[in-house]
Amino acid sequence: MNEMSFAGPCADCEHDLVELLEGSLGPERARVIRLHVESCPRCRAWRAEFAAIDAGLAAALPRPALSADFEHRLQARIATLPRPVNRSDLRASADREHERLVDTLRRGARRHALLDGIGSAAVAISVLAAARVLVEQTGALPLLLEGPQRLVILGGIGTAVALAALAWTAVRSRLPLAG
Amino acid sequence: MDDGIERHLAAGRHARAFDLVVPAYKDRVFRLAYSILKDRAAAEDAAQETFVRIWKALPGFDGRAALGTWIYAITRNTCLMELRRRRPTVSFDDPDSTEAQHAAASIATGPAEDPEHDNLLRLVEALPRNQQEAVRLFYLEDRSYETVAEQLGMPLGTVKNLLHRARKRLMGLARPDEVKAA
Repeated sequence: MNEMSFAGPCADCEHDLVELLEGSLGPERARVIRLHVESCPRCRAWRAEFAAIDAGLAAALPRPALSADFEHRLQARIATLPRPVNRSDLRASADREHERLVDTLRRGARRHALLDGIGSAAVAISVLAAARVLVEQTGALPLLLEGPQRLVILGGIGTAVALAALAWTAVRSRLPLAG
Repeated sequence: MDDGIERHLAAGRHARAFDLVVPAYKDRVFRLAYSILKDRAAAEDAAQETFVRIWKALPGFDGRAALGTWIYAITRNTCLMELRRRRPTVSFDDPDSTEAQHAAASIATGPAEDPEHDNLLRLVEALPRNQQEAVRLFYLEDRSYETVAEQLGMPLGTVKNLLHRARKRLMGLARPDEVKAA
Protein backbone atom coordinates (compact mmCIF):
# COMPACT_ATOMS: atom_id res chain seq x y z
CA MET A 1 0.00 0.00 0.00
CA ASN A 2 2.83 2.32 0.87
CA GLU A 3 5.26 0.67 -1.47
CA MET A 4 5.86 3.95 -3.25
CA SER A 5 7.44 5.36 -0.11
CA PHE A 6 10.36 2.94 -0.50
CA ALA A 7 13.43 3.85 -2.38
CA GLY A 8 12.57 1.79 -5.44
CA PRO A 9 14.80 1.09 -8.41
CA CYS A 10 15.86 3.75 -10.88
CA ALA A 11 12.68 4.76 -12.71
CA ASP A 12 13.86 3.83 -16.19
CA CYS A 13 15.10 0.40 -15.06
CA GLU A 14 12.08 -1.00 -13.23
CA HIS A 15 10.34 -2.80 -16.11
CA ASP A 16 13.66 -3.89 -17.60
CA LEU A 17 14.64 -5.45 -14.28
CA VAL A 18 11.43 -7.47 -14.26
CA GLU A 19 11.96 -8.58 -17.85
CA LEU A 20 15.56 -9.44 -17.05
CA LEU A 21 14.41 -11.70 -14.22
CA GLU A 22 11.78 -13.28 -16.45
CA GLY A 23 14.27 -13.80 -19.25
CA SER A 24 12.30 -11.79 -21.82
CA LEU A 25 14.67 -8.81 -22.12
CA GLY A 26 16.62 -8.48 -25.38
CA PRO A 27 20.32 -9.45 -25.08
CA GLU A 28 21.75 -5.95 -25.69
CA ARG A 29 19.43 -4.25 -23.19
CA ALA A 30 20.01 -7.10 -20.72
CA ARG A 31 23.77 -6.47 -20.86
CA VAL A 32 23.24 -2.73 -20.18
CA ILE A 33 20.89 -3.43 -17.26
CA ARG A 34 23.25 -6.02 -15.74
CA LEU A 35 26.09 -3.50 -15.85
CA HIS A 36 23.86 -0.85 -14.27
CA VAL A 37 22.70 -3.19 -11.50
CA GLU A 38 26.27 -3.97 -10.56
CA SER A 39 26.91 -0.32 -9.87
CA CYS A 40 23.50 0.63 -8.39
CA PRO A 41 22.70 -0.61 -4.87
CA ARG A 42 19.05 0.55 -5.11
CA CYS A 43 18.37 -1.47 -8.27
CA ARG A 44 20.32 -4.42 -6.86
CA ALA A 45 18.27 -4.43 -3.67
CA TRP A 46 15.00 -4.04 -5.57
CA ARG A 47 15.88 -6.85 -7.96
CA ALA A 48 16.67 -9.18 -5.06
CA GLU A 49 13.45 -8.26 -3.33
CA PHE A 50 11.39 -8.72 -6.48
CA ALA A 51 13.02 -12.09 -7.13
CA ALA A 52 12.26 -13.14 -3.56
CA ILE A 53 8.57 -12.20 -3.87
CA ASP A 54 8.35 -13.94 -7.24
CA ALA A 55 9.92 -17.14 -5.92
CA GLY A 56 7.85 -16.93 -2.74
CA LEU A 57 4.59 -16.63 -4.69
CA ALA A 58 5.51 -19.51 -6.97
CA ALA A 59 6.21 -21.69 -3.94
CA ALA A 60 3.41 -20.52 -1.66
CA LEU A 61 0.38 -20.32 -3.93
CA PRO A 62 -1.64 -23.53 -3.92
CA ARG A 63 -1.69 -25.56 -7.13
CA PRO A 64 -4.91 -27.55 -6.85
CA ALA A 65 -5.77 -30.23 -9.40
CA LEU A 66 -9.06 -31.52 -10.70
CA SER A 67 -10.51 -34.68 -9.19
CA ALA A 68 -9.71 -37.81 -11.15
CA ASP A 69 -13.42 -38.46 -11.74
CA PHE A 70 -14.17 -34.96 -13.08
CA GLU A 71 -14.82 -36.09 -16.65
CA HIS A 72 -16.79 -39.13 -15.55
CA ARG A 73 -19.09 -36.99 -13.42
CA LEU A 74 -19.45 -34.47 -16.21
CA GLN A 75 -20.39 -37.13 -18.77
CA ALA A 76 -22.96 -38.56 -16.34
CA ARG A 77 -24.48 -35.10 -15.98
CA ILE A 78 -24.44 -34.45 -19.73
CA ALA A 79 -26.18 -37.79 -20.34
CA THR A 80 -29.23 -36.54 -18.42
CA LEU A 81 -29.56 -33.42 -20.59
CA PRO A 82 -31.48 -33.23 -23.87
CA ARG A 83 -29.29 -33.21 -26.92
CA PRO A 84 -28.85 -29.60 -28.07
CA VAL A 85 -30.55 -28.77 -31.36
CA ASN A 86 -28.17 -28.17 -34.26
CA ARG A 87 -28.58 -24.98 -36.23
CA SER A 88 -28.51 -27.04 -39.44
CA ASP A 89 -31.38 -29.19 -38.11
CA LEU A 90 -33.38 -26.06 -37.30
CA ARG A 91 -32.74 -24.70 -40.79
CA ALA A 92 -33.78 -28.00 -42.43
CA SER A 93 -36.94 -28.08 -40.32
CA ALA A 94 -37.83 -24.50 -41.35
CA ASP A 95 -37.20 -25.39 -45.00
CA ARG A 96 -39.50 -28.41 -44.74
CA GLU A 97 -42.22 -26.30 -43.12
CA HIS A 98 -41.89 -23.69 -45.88
CA GLU A 99 -42.16 -26.35 -48.60
CA ARG A 100 -45.27 -27.81 -46.96
CA LEU A 101 -46.91 -24.37 -46.79
CA VAL A 102 -46.15 -23.58 -50.44
CA ASP A 103 -47.50 -26.98 -51.50
CA THR A 104 -50.73 -26.44 -49.56
CA LEU A 105 -51.20 -23.00 -51.14
CA ARG A 106 -50.61 -24.44 -54.63
CA ARG A 107 -53.17 -27.22 -54.11
CA GLY A 108 -55.67 -24.65 -52.74
CA ALA A 109 -55.18 -22.41 -55.78
CA ARG A 110 -55.71 -25.37 -58.15
CA ARG A 111 -58.91 -26.38 -56.34
CA HIS A 112 -60.19 -22.79 -56.50
CA ALA A 113 -59.51 -22.59 -60.24
CA LEU A 114 -61.32 -25.89 -60.82
CA LEU A 115 -64.34 -24.81 -58.77
CA ASP A 116 -64.44 -21.45 -60.56
CA GLY A 117 -64.44 -23.25 -63.91
CA ILE A 118 -67.20 -25.64 -62.85
CA GLY A 119 -69.25 -22.76 -61.42
CA SER A 120 -68.88 -20.62 -64.52
CA ALA A 121 -69.80 -23.53 -66.81
CA ALA A 122 -72.87 -24.32 -64.68
CA VAL A 123 -74.03 -20.70 -64.76
CA ALA A 124 -73.55 -20.49 -68.55
CA ILE A 125 -75.39 -23.76 -69.14
CA SER A 126 -78.22 -22.64 -66.84
CA VAL A 127 -78.60 -19.33 -68.68
CA LEU A 128 -78.53 -21.03 -72.07
CA ALA A 129 -81.09 -23.62 -70.93
CA ALA A 130 -83.35 -20.89 -69.55
CA ALA A 131 -83.05 -18.90 -72.81
CA ARG A 132 -83.88 -22.00 -74.84
CA VAL A 133 -86.98 -22.74 -72.73
CA LEU A 134 -88.04 -19.12 -73.10
CA VAL A 135 -87.64 -19.21 -76.89
CA GLU A 136 -89.51 -22.51 -77.19
CA GLN A 137 -92.39 -21.32 -75.05
CA THR A 138 -92.86 -17.84 -76.47
CA GLY A 139 -91.44 -18.22 -79.97
CA ALA A 140 -91.20 -14.46 -79.92
CA LEU A 141 -87.58 -13.98 -78.86
CA PRO A 142 -86.08 -14.01 -82.40
CA LEU A 143 -88.57 -11.29 -83.33
CA LEU A 144 -87.68 -9.28 -80.23
CA LEU A 145 -83.95 -9.55 -81.01
CA GLU A 146 -84.51 -8.15 -84.41
CA GLY A 147 -86.67 -5.28 -83.23
CA PRO A 148 -85.74 -1.93 -81.66
CA GLN A 149 -85.78 -3.50 -78.13
CA ARG A 150 -82.79 -5.65 -79.07
CA LEU A 151 -80.37 -3.70 -76.81
CA VAL A 152 -82.68 -3.95 -73.79
CA ILE A 153 -83.07 -7.73 -74.24
CA LEU A 154 -79.32 -8.37 -74.66
CA GLY A 155 -78.58 -6.09 -71.69
CA GLY A 156 -81.06 -8.06 -69.60
CA ILE A 157 -79.38 -11.35 -70.53
CA GLY A 158 -75.91 -9.91 -69.70
CA THR A 159 -77.14 -8.59 -66.34
CA ALA A 160 -78.66 -12.00 -65.55
CA VAL A 161 -75.33 -13.73 -66.29
CA ALA A 162 -73.42 -11.18 -64.16
CA LEU A 163 -75.86 -11.59 -61.25
CA ALA A 164 -75.58 -15.38 -61.51
CA ALA A 165 -71.75 -15.13 -61.38
CA LEU A 166 -71.95 -12.77 -58.37
CA ALA A 167 -74.34 -15.13 -56.63
CA TRP A 168 -71.96 -18.04 -57.27
CA THR A 169 -69.05 -16.10 -55.86
CA ALA A 170 -71.04 -15.13 -52.76
CA VAL A 171 -72.20 -18.68 -52.18
CA ARG A 172 -68.70 -20.09 -52.67
CA SER A 173 -67.13 -17.66 -50.20
CA ARG A 174 -69.59 -18.81 -47.55
CA LEU A 175 -68.95 -22.48 -48.15
CA PRO A 176 -65.84 -24.17 -46.69
CA LEU A 177 -64.38 -24.91 -50.09
CA ALA A 178 -60.90 -23.46 -49.55
CA GLY A 179 -58.06 -25.96 -49.31
CA MET B 1 -6.15 -29.68 -30.99
CA ASP B 2 -8.60 -26.82 -31.73
CA ASP B 3 -8.42 -27.68 -35.44
CA GLY B 4 -10.07 -31.04 -34.82
CA ILE B 5 -12.70 -29.40 -32.62
CA GLU B 6 -13.43 -26.72 -35.20
CA ARG B 7 -13.70 -29.30 -37.99
CA HIS B 8 -16.33 -31.19 -36.01
CA LEU B 9 -18.15 -27.95 -35.21
CA ALA B 10 -18.16 -26.88 -38.86
CA ALA B 11 -19.65 -30.26 -39.79
CA GLY B 12 -22.34 -29.94 -37.09
CA ARG B 13 -20.90 -32.85 -35.04
CA HIS B 14 -21.27 -31.02 -31.75
CA ALA B 15 -21.20 -34.06 -29.48
CA ARG B 16 -17.89 -35.18 -30.96
CA ALA B 17 -16.51 -31.64 -30.73
CA PHE B 18 -17.56 -31.55 -27.07
CA ASP B 19 -15.75 -34.83 -26.43
CA LEU B 20 -12.55 -33.09 -27.56
CA VAL B 21 -13.27 -29.77 -25.81
CA VAL B 22 -13.44 -31.30 -22.32
CA PRO B 23 -9.96 -32.89 -22.16
CA ALA B 24 -8.41 -29.95 -24.02
CA TYR B 25 -9.79 -27.25 -21.72
CA LYS B 26 -10.77 -28.85 -18.40
CA ASP B 27 -7.53 -27.98 -16.56
CA ARG B 28 -7.35 -24.40 -17.82
CA VAL B 29 -11.04 -23.85 -17.09
CA PHE B 30 -10.52 -25.24 -13.59
CA ARG B 31 -7.42 -23.08 -12.94
CA LEU B 32 -9.24 -19.96 -14.15
CA ALA B 33 -12.21 -20.81 -11.91
CA TYR B 34 -9.85 -21.43 -8.99
CA SER B 35 -8.09 -18.09 -9.48
CA ILE B 36 -11.48 -16.35 -9.24
CA LEU B 37 -13.21 -18.45 -6.56
CA LYS B 38 -10.11 -19.32 -4.49
CA ASP B 39 -11.59 -22.63 -3.44
CA ARG B 40 -10.88 -26.03 -4.99
CA ALA B 41 -14.35 -27.56 -4.54
CA ALA B 42 -16.13 -24.40 -5.70
CA ALA B 43 -13.79 -24.16 -8.71
CA GLU B 44 -14.52 -27.76 -9.64
CA ASP B 45 -18.27 -27.18 -9.39
CA ALA B 46 -17.90 -24.05 -11.52
CA ALA B 47 -15.88 -26.01 -14.09
CA GLN B 48 -18.67 -28.63 -14.25
CA GLU B 49 -21.28 -25.90 -14.69
CA THR B 50 -19.13 -24.22 -17.35
CA PHE B 51 -18.93 -27.40 -19.42
CA VAL B 52 -22.69 -27.99 -19.09
CA ARG B 53 -23.22 -24.48 -20.48
CA ILE B 54 -20.73 -25.16 -23.24
CA TRP B 55 -22.63 -28.36 -24.11
CA LYS B 56 -25.88 -26.42 -24.40
CA ALA B 57 -24.38 -23.49 -26.28
CA LEU B 58 -21.98 -25.31 -28.60
CA PRO B 59 -24.47 -25.51 -31.54
CA GLY B 60 -24.71 -21.70 -31.34
CA PHE B 61 -20.94 -21.13 -31.42
CA ASP B 62 -20.42 -19.16 -34.62
CA GLY B 63 -16.61 -18.97 -34.62
CA ARG B 64 -16.51 -15.16 -34.54
CA ALA B 65 -14.33 -15.37 -31.41
CA ALA B 66 -11.62 -17.98 -30.89
CA LEU B 67 -12.97 -21.11 -29.19
CA GLY B 68 -10.69 -20.59 -26.16
CA THR B 69 -11.79 -16.97 -25.75
CA TRP B 70 -15.44 -18.10 -25.87
CA ILE B 71 -14.86 -20.88 -23.33
CA TYR B 72 -12.98 -18.60 -20.91
CA ALA B 73 -15.74 -15.98 -21.17
CA ILE B 74 -18.31 -18.63 -20.18
CA THR B 75 -16.02 -19.71 -17.31
CA ARG B 76 -15.64 -16.15 -16.01
CA ASN B 77 -19.39 -15.53 -16.22
CA THR B 78 -20.12 -18.77 -14.37
CA CYS B 79 -17.66 -17.82 -11.61
CA LEU B 80 -18.94 -14.26 -11.34
CA MET B 81 -22.49 -15.58 -10.99
CA GLU B 82 -21.25 -17.86 -8.21
CA LEU B 83 -19.56 -14.91 -6.48
CA ARG B 84 -22.74 -12.85 -6.85
CA ARG B 85 -24.76 -15.73 -5.41
CA ARG B 86 -22.42 -15.87 -2.42
CA ARG B 87 -22.26 -12.11 -1.85
CA PRO B 88 -25.13 -11.78 0.67
CA THR B 89 -23.26 -14.10 3.04
CA VAL B 90 -19.84 -12.46 2.68
CA SER B 91 -18.40 -11.12 5.87
CA PHE B 92 -14.73 -11.13 6.67
CA ASP B 93 -15.53 -10.43 10.31
CA ASP B 94 -17.59 -13.57 10.59
CA PRO B 95 -15.22 -16.54 10.87
CA ASP B 96 -18.02 -18.90 9.79
CA SER B 97 -18.77 -17.02 6.56
CA THR B 98 -18.28 -18.83 3.26
CA GLU B 99 -15.72 -16.29 2.09
CA ALA B 100 -13.72 -16.52 5.30
CA GLN B 101 -13.80 -20.31 5.06
CA HIS B 102 -12.63 -20.13 1.47
CA ALA B 103 -9.78 -17.83 2.43
CA ALA B 104 -8.83 -20.14 5.28
CA ALA B 105 -9.09 -23.20 3.02
CA SER B 106 -6.98 -21.47 0.42
CA ILE B 107 -4.26 -20.82 2.97
CA ALA B 108 -4.62 -24.26 4.51
CA THR B 109 -4.13 -25.98 1.15
CA GLY B 110 -0.73 -24.31 0.69
CA PRO B 111 2.18 -26.61 0.05
CA ALA B 112 3.70 -26.23 3.53
CA GLU B 113 3.10 -24.85 6.97
CA ASP B 114 5.88 -22.41 6.23
CA PRO B 115 5.19 -19.20 8.16
CA GLU B 116 6.70 -17.11 5.37
CA HIS B 117 4.45 -18.72 2.77
CA ASP B 118 1.52 -18.39 5.09
CA ASN B 119 2.24 -14.72 5.53
CA LEU B 120 2.64 -14.20 1.79
CA LEU B 121 -0.73 -15.86 1.15
CA ARG B 122 -2.34 -13.52 3.66
CA LEU B 123 -0.79 -10.59 1.82
CA VAL B 124 -2.16 -11.88 -1.49
CA GLU B 125 -5.60 -11.98 0.14
CA ALA B 126 -5.18 -8.27 0.87
CA LEU B 127 -4.72 -7.38 -2.81
CA PRO B 128 -7.63 -5.99 -4.87
CA ARG B 129 -9.65 -8.80 -6.46
CA ASN B 130 -8.44 -8.30 -10.04
CA GLN B 131 -4.79 -8.34 -8.89
CA GLN B 132 -5.39 -11.47 -6.79
CA GLU B 133 -6.93 -13.26 -9.78
CA ALA B 134 -4.06 -12.26 -12.06
CA VAL B 135 -1.40 -13.30 -9.52
CA ARG B 136 -2.98 -16.68 -8.80
CA LEU B 137 -3.50 -17.44 -12.46
CA PHE B 138 -0.02 -16.26 -13.45
CA TYR B 139 1.69 -18.71 -11.10
CA LEU B 140 -0.81 -21.49 -11.83
CA GLU B 141 -0.10 -21.08 -15.53
CA ASP B 142 3.67 -21.21 -15.05
CA ARG B 143 4.20 -17.47 -15.47
CA SER B 144 2.66 -17.22 -18.93
CA TYR B 145 1.41 -13.66 -19.53
CA GLU B 146 -0.21 -14.71 -22.81
CA THR B 147 -2.27 -17.49 -21.20
CA VAL B 148 -3.38 -15.20 -18.37
CA ALA B 149 -4.35 -12.48 -20.87
CA GLU B 150 -6.40 -14.96 -22.90
CA GLN B 151 -8.10 -16.45 -19.86
CA LEU B 152 -8.93 -13.14 -18.23
CA GLY B 153 -9.97 -11.62 -21.57
CA MET B 154 -7.54 -8.71 -21.15
CA PRO B 155 -4.88 -7.20 -23.41
CA LEU B 156 -1.37 -8.45 -22.73
CA GLY B 157 -0.14 -5.01 -21.60
CA THR B 158 -2.97 -4.72 -19.08
CA VAL B 159 -2.07 -8.10 -17.57
CA LYS B 160 1.61 -7.14 -17.34
CA ASN B 161 0.73 -3.88 -15.59
CA LEU B 162 -1.71 -5.61 -13.25
CA LEU B 163 0.89 -8.19 -12.22
CA HIS B 164 3.62 -5.63 -11.86
CA ARG B 165 1.46 -3.47 -9.61
CA ALA B 166 0.43 -6.55 -7.60
CA ARG B 167 4.01 -7.68 -7.00
CA LYS B 168 5.18 -4.19 -6.15
CA ARG B 169 2.34 -3.92 -3.70
CA LEU B 170 3.28 -7.26 -2.15
CA MET B 171 6.87 -6.07 -1.80
CA GLY B 172 5.57 -3.04 0.09
CA LEU B 173 3.24 -5.12 2.24
CA ALA B 174 5.99 -7.61 3.03
CA ARG B 175 8.11 -5.02 4.83
CA PRO B 176 5.70 -3.10 7.09
CA ASP B 177 8.49 -2.18 9.54
CA GLU B 178 10.35 -0.37 6.81
CA VAL B 179 7.10 1.34 5.79
CA LYS B 180 6.75 2.71 9.27
CA ALA B 181 10.38 3.78 9.28
CA ALA B 182 10.10 5.41 5.84
